[in-house]
Amino acid sequence: MGVIGYGLGVIGAGIGIGLAAYGYTTATARQPEMQGALFTGFILGSAFVEALALIGFVVALIVK
Amino acid sequence: MEELFDQLPDKVDELIDSFLSIPIVGDLNVGFTQYDFWLAVAIVVLLVLMFTFIKKQSRSLVPEGRFVNGMEFVVEYTRKNMVQDIVGPTWREHFPFIATVFFFVLVNNIIGVIPGCHPGTGCIGVTAALALVSFIYFIVMGVRKHGVGGYLKTFSHGLKGPMGPAIWLVEVFSTFLRLITLAVRLFCNLFAGHIVMGTFAILTSLFATQLAQGISLMAFGSAGISLLWLAILIIIYVVELLVAAIQAFVFAMLSAVYVQIAEEEE
Repeated sequence: MGVIGYGLGVIGAGIGIGLAAYGYTTATARQPEMQGALFTGFILGSAFVEALALIGFVVALIVK
Repeated sequence: MEELFDQLPDKVDELIDSFLSIPIVGDLNVGFTQYDFWLAVAIVVLLVLMFTFIKKQSRSLVPEGRFVNGMEFVVEYTRKNMVQDIVGPTWREHFPFIATVFFFVLVNNIIGVIPGCHPGTGCIGVTAALALVSFIYFIVMGVRKHGVGGYLKTFSHGLKGPMGPAIWLVEVFSTFLRLITLAVRLFCNLFAGHIVMGTFAILTSLFATQLAQGISLMAFGSAGISLLWLAILIIIYVVELLVAAIQAFVFAMLSAVYVQIAEEEE
């Protein structure tokens, strides 16, 4: 059950990181000089999203 | 092959048990666990790095050698991208704190990638303490800037009427949530990374040790598969090195963002 729960939780995080990377690459393609500032935002955004997936991972391990 | 995979859950359970705090001296209430030991190692490494850097840098005005140049690059990157760009005009007084947090977490995380080490940041207690320090720091900075009443007022973003108290409540709640998310994000990233690396290391050793039980075609087959696990392990290892740096970056940068939010004018 825990594995299925983790899989379900990761769907959202996967979509989220995908969207963040999509936004980052398209924005960099349009304005390459903004790359540094955009990268900061991208890393911050993916850190927020990734934390959710990782909480799912740890909960799946702990709750049997 | 099947029976090898059947052994995996027990081995992983053993691995997870090894991540619990085990006291070396004393007990869990008053004692010295393996996490404390690696935390002390990290602090020593950090101090050695710092003093070598200061000694080598003071030899000449122009930075010489890879070590000094590399360290200067990291410090300047921290100063420019994490403090100056985010905090704004008052960056000079916040730089020491944010840089300290960054280097502390970074050294801890990188020690955690070495097999067999239990870094301090892989333990929820240490990350919670770090998050608490960062939390208190930005609240003190906000109070110093606006005064106690003024700082409490900034949570409502200057809204008047019935929306003011509602937004105030939500903002105060989300501020306290920062404490939890800061701690849990760092801990979960490190913990999950260690578990994944450990699982693939266990798989590699399970398949490779088949050879020790007798040379046969089957054993050679499983040894071949263990090379595949090893390849995945190396890839994950590289990713974990990246995660170690990025998580330190994220932790320090979020501290900077929170300081900036606490200090901003309405």
